[in-house]
Amino acid sequence: MNDNRTKKSHLPRLFLISSGEECAGSGTLLLRQLALLPRSHPCMVQIREKKLSAKELLTLALKAREMELPEGTLLLMNERVDLALAASLGGVHLPENACSAKVLRTFAPNLIYGCSVHSPSALRIAEEAGADYLLFGPVFDTPSKRIYGAPQGLEKLGALCQATSLPVFALGGITKKNAGLCMAKGAYGIAALSLFRDTDRVADTIEELYLHLNQ
Amino acid sequence: MIPSSPFLCVITDETLSPLFLAEKALMGGATMIQLRHKEASGSQLYSWAVAIRKLCHKHQALCIINDRVDIAMASHADGVHLGQQDMPIEAARKLLGKHCIIGASASSLKEAMQAERDGADYIGFGHIFPTSSKKKDYAPLGTETLRQAANHISLPIIAIGGISHENAATLIASGASAVAVISTVSRALDPTLAARKLLCAITKNCS
Repeated sequence: MNDNRTKKSHLPRLFLISSGEECAGSGTLLLRQLALLPRSHPCMVQIREKKLSAKELLTLALKAREMELPEGTLLLMNERVDLALAASLGGVHLPENACSAKVLRTFAPNLIYGCSVHSPSALRIAEEAGADYLLFGPVFDTPSKRIYGAPQGLEKLGALCQATSLPVFALGGITKKNAGLCMAKGAYGIAALSLFRDTDRVADTIEELYLHLNQ
Repeated sequence: MIPSSPFLCVITDETLSPLFLAEKALMGGATMIQLRHKEASGSQLYSWAVAIRKLCHKHQALCIINDRVDIAMASHADGVHLGQQDMPIEAARKLLGKHCIIGASASSLKEAMQAERDGADYIGFGHIFPTSSKKKDYAPLGTETLRQAANHISLPIIAIGGISHENAATLIASGASAVAVISTVSRALDPTLAARKLLCAITKNCS
C-alpha cells in the first residue's frame, strides 16, 4: 500500500510518470498500468495530466488510491499539494517553477516532496527547500523534449549525483539498455513515461529494469 | 468575513500584473480581490498571493484565490473561489477548515443550490450579461434568473459577467450582494476610477 510515512531512504527506485494523455473522465491508461505493477516491485507513480481539470485529477487520484498496489508504492501528484492531501497520496512532485517545498511543508508536513532540477542552480534551490528526491533530465534524446534542445547527457547526470546526497532519478529516453549507465553514474533510480506506455509489456519492462536497478 | 452591504469584487486577469491591478482596484474601493491567472507558475502565483493578501489586509479587503487551494493555504489567503471543474467544495472544506471562505461558481439555479448544500460561503453567479472576458457556451442568465436565485438561496450572491457602472445597480436591486468584474476594471484606462464608478453605482456612495 501507498504509505505517507515511506522514508526517503526507502523510496522505490523505479519512477513511473503518467502518460499525460488521459482524457476527461477516462484515466484508464494509468489505472491499467497500476493494475499491472508486479507485486514484488514497488514504484514511484506520478500523476501528471495537464489536460485534466482539478476535479478530474482528484477523481483519478482517488481511484488510484483505492487500488491494491505493491507494498512501498508511492503515489505522487504533480505540483498540486491540495489534490495530494485530498486524495491522501504520499507526496507531490514539483516542477522547477512550482511553489517551494519549504512553504508547502508548513501546512502539509507529512508528504514526500520531489523536485525537477535541470541545472546546478536549481539543485541548490531544491536542496534549500528540503526536497526528498530529485528528478533530472532529459538524460537521453526523447522526442517530447527536443524543443528544449540537446539532452543533458550522462556526464551532467553524474555531476549532479556527485554534487548532492539526495536520491536522483534519471529521466528522458531511458531504456532497458541504458538504465544501467544511469545507475553507474550515481543515479538512485530511473523515471519514464513512454517506456511504460505499452501495457502488454509493462510488467516485463519493470521486471527487467529492476535487474539493472539492483546491481 | 464577507461584507454585509453591497461590495465590489475585482478579479485579476492576464492583461495587467495582478499585483498592480489589485492595488489600483483597492484604491478604488474594491473589498474583495480574486487572484486568477491561468498561465502563471505556482511560484509566481504564490508570490502574488502573498503580496495581494498583504495589500488587501491593509485596505480591510478580502483576498481570494481562484482554483488553487494549495496556493490559498500557502499564502494564508482569506479564501478560494472554485469553478465547476475545480476541486469539489467538500474536499476543499476539509483542507481549509470552516473559517476559510469558499466561493463557488454557478451558472444556473440548480448549480447554485447544489453549491449551497455543499457548504459554499458565497455564490459567484453568472454570466448575467454578455461578456468578452471569458468564452461562454451558454446564453447570459439575465437579471430575472438572478432574482430567482436570490429568492432561493440564503448565501451572498456575487453577480458576474458583462457588468459596468451602468448596469451594476440593477443587479443589487435584483438581490445580488456584490458584483464581480474582470475587464471592466483591468482594461480600463484608469482601473481605480473604473472601480470607484462601479462602487458608486452599487452603494450610491459616490464620494
